[in-house]
Amino acid sequence: MSEMPGRVAVRFVVNGRPVEREVEGRQSLADCLRDGLSLTGTHLGCEQGVCGACNVLVDGQVVRSCLMLAAQAEGCQVTTVEGIGEGDRRLNPLQQAFLDNHGLQCGFCTPGMLIAATALLKENPHPSREEVTAAISGVVCRCTGYTDIVDSILAAADAMAR
Amino acid sequence: MSEASYIGTSVPRREGAHKLSGQAQYVSDLRRHDWLHARLVLSPYAHAKIERVDLTPALRLPGVVAAFSAQDLTLARLGRQLNGGSDRVLDVLLAHSEVSFAGEPVAVVLAETAAAAEDGAEAVEVSYRRLAAATDPRQAMAKDAVRVRSEEELHGAEDEEAAHGAAVGGEVEGQSAPNVTRQIAFDRGDIDAGFRLADQVVEQSYRIAGVHQAYLEPQAAAAEAHPDGSVTIWASTQGAFYSRSYAAECLGLSEEKVKVVPMTVGGAFGGKGGLLEPLAAALATVVRRPVMLVLDRLQDFLVSNPGPAAEITVRLGATKDGQLTAIFADMMFDSGAAPGSPVGIAGMLLGGTYQAPNLAVRGVEVVTHKVPVGAYRAPGAPQAYFALESAMDELSRKLGVDPLTLRLKNASVEGDPQVNGRPWPRIGLVECLEQAARDPLWVKRQKGDDEGIGVAAGGWPGGTEPAAAVCRVNGDGTLTVQVGSVDITGTHTTFALIAAQAFGIDPSRVRVITGDTDAAPYAGFAGGSKITTTVGSAVLAAAAEARRQILELAASEMEAPADDLEVSDGQVRVKGVPEGGRSVAELAALTTGFGASKAPVTGQGRTAITKSAPGFAVHIAKVRLDRRHGWLKIVDYLAVQDVGKALNPAAVAGQMRGGTAQGIGRALFEQMVYQGGQLQDASLADYDLPLASDLPPIRVAMVEVPSPIGPFGAKGVGEPPAIPGAATVANAIRDAGGPRLTSVPIRPQQLIGD
Ligand code: FES
Ligand code: FES
Repeated sequence: MSEMPGRVAVRFVVNGRPVEREVEGRQSLADCLRDGLSLTGTHLGCEQGVCGACNVLVDGQVVRSCLMLAAQAEGCQVTTVEGIGEGDRRLNPLQQAFLDNHGLQCGFCTPGMLIAATALLKENPHPSREEVTAAISGVVCRCTGYTDIVDSILAAADAMAR
Repeated sequence: MSEASYIGTSVPRREGAHKLSGQAQYVSDLRRHDWLHARLVLSPYAHAKIERVDLTPALRLPGVVAAFSAQDLTLARLGRQLNGGSDRVLDVLLAHSEVSFAGEPVAVVLAETAAAAEDGAEAVEVSYRRLAAATDPRQAMAKDAVRVRSEEELHGAEDEEAAHGAAVGGEVEGQSAPNVTRQIAFDRGDIDAGFRLADQVVEQSYRIAGVHQAYLEPQAAAAEAHPDGSVTIWASTQGAFYSRSYAAECLGLSEEKVKVVPMTVGGAFGGKGGLLEPLAAALATVVRRPVMLVLDRLQDFLVSNPGPAAEITVRLGATKDGQLTAIFADMMFDSGAAPGSPVGIAGMLLGGTYQAPNLAVRGVEVVTHKVPVGAYRAPGAPQAYFALESAMDELSRKLGVDPLTLRLKNASVEGDPQVNGRPWPRIGLVECLEQAARDPLWVKRQKGDDEGIGVAAGGWPGGTEPAAAVCRVNGDGTLTVQVGSVDITGTHTTFALIAAQAFGIDPSRVRVITGDTDAAPYAGFAGGSKITTTVGSAVLAAAAEARRQILELAASEMEAPADDLEVSDGQVRVKGVPEGGRSVAELAALTTGFGASKAPVTGQGRTAITKSAPGFAVHIAKVRLDRRHGWLKIVDYLAVQDVGKALNPAAVAGQMRGGTAQGIGRALFEQMVYQGGQLQDASLADYDLPLASDLPPIRVAMVEVPSPIGPFGAKGVGEPPAIPGAATVANAIRDAGGPRLTSVPIRPQQLIGD
């Protein structure tokens, strides 16, 4: 692929689908996902690495996609909120638990919360309330007061154990 | 067979799956290839003359398509000759010749990409002549203070309170000091005599910091102009019709030429509606390209309308058995660079929550060279109740009367006068206090030496606004309910329950949609805790009318008088005869399709309630204090609230918990810090929002004192939980042996002692 000045070619896998883009060197992974790939479920609340609304999984790790350059994702497996579900329409047990336990209101923090919770439950399938609280303390929610989010994640852990 | 009840059962949010899968569309998620991205250029000075705006350096940059200052955005540029003056500068957010707060937009750059627009905005050169600024309200009231607004500008300023609560009266004409834009006074009895009768008097001044709504989605609007002179605006707004009227007015367009499409709103709390819509629409019209205007977090902090800081002095007098004899309050609200503070509502709540025969409540609103304030969840109430409820706590200590008993003794009930003399309707303050008194946390009051338990109340008058709704029965017997209000807090889910209940069908057969302003029936601003009571009442009426129509249809088909029929669970039957009948689906099939014989079932509901449904809340906090390190932990928290009737209890609980978290935020974390008119904490890294690890699990207890006006007795629930937090935490700290805190947010150094 021929490169324009200041632009770099990058190849990575998003939600299981290989993509190849030519991006501006300064473009963040978040902007690449949102603008380049129309994956707008990744939200921008601060673009400073504070709020966590832009959380995605990069090779299984929670990453603030507003802080990472798209070019740095070369060769990585990226999972966004659009990619955590099962199949086309169905909600996975974590998403279902958020729905059933009212773990969302305006929904703007929700993708970041789901990504943080996905990583937590992968590593620690039976977390305590304190562990869940700690795991989502890097994601700001202005609407819920967090109680219902913590309950949702605990309920998801239960459901997944069954 | 008893009729199924859908009301009062917890159901998941209708739009939840969209939000959980990343499909919900917020303004900035709109994708199209021809957007021009707009970026604002903001004033670095609190007060300055704009001498020159040089846009050319921006226009030379790659990707930049256009740039404007206020002077370039005129009716003439819009190609219209309305309102007599074709060169009239549009009122679209950009400063005309003078800036009156740091962060005021002075120019805007449009480019093919957001990054290019940002580069362009950096390149714009503005020359300012700095002027003396009055950024502190005390300083602004001094005799020789510079005037923040001219008489002319003040004329015709809009009233924020009208949108959020009720106008309360008590206005005092004339100006007592420079930059005072509003004064209120409420009096009853003889205040001096009232204090003479008192056995105990407490007096204290309290300061409540200005805070930001800090919704997680920054403000955004997008617009496209059409060849017929009309515009479409996609907005993150609490009120599509409000945004429409405001944009039409600013642009000199008639309302029918402006279509506002309300998008999913990523939190608002009073702060969203009208800020960016006029500018986006003006830009799209002038450049003939669709325009996307999204603020980043820094700009959002600097440009948008936060909640005001206030200073409130309260003096209370009571007899030794705890009967209030006098309530005195003196308030000052810092309104920023435009009038519109909630000083009236604050006065109403300060003087009306408890009854005393003698009352004097005073308040001023002062304009300063800071960002103009707006509405933030229960505008004026957290300020009022931090002062009032801290004072009540001190009074209970001085008197040796239990704090809940003291409140119960003096709490307003139905018929008691409010500050303006009007009687309170039926309110649930007493019931909330009683419920709090029954909670084990209060009954046992179990606490360690370093722990304390505090209580505080709060209330919200509730707003009103006319609304309409349409309920259609589709050919398959399902219902589509259309409203003009945006669903931020789960109101559509509640509307589905209301319509299902009123019609007699399972809620899963009901879909609720928000139309754009071209299509939807009118609804007001989703603020003031009034959507459920106002639009909900219209939905109830629309579904009832649709039911009447289906019964009429059934009567002719079933050859029975409509009065003898009923609809239940989607089935029309003769009353008292459980078998037989016709399904709504069968009947509806007669109303649609080629050659069908019956008129479509379309119920319309309209309401214009003028009475509001005030809601009260009482909170209890248990805190643990480490006075050596100034460390504080909230170990238990209970929020009690009179919700009238919890239509969807889970959604109500969510509102209660979320509001409580914002109240705790005010108590412990949040503050807009200014230095010389410069906001010091204009980022989420600096502005301290509560995180999950900062908050305890929030317990909720609902009290149901039905409202005569809301559907099924419901009251607005959004605002009351955000009110008592500051005083609740401060009173708990005092109970733990800490100091009486007279300002929030509370700082660790204030807690250090022995
Ligand atoms: S947008 Fe990335 S952390 Fe806030
Ligand atoms: S649900 Fe609105 S920010 Fe979390």
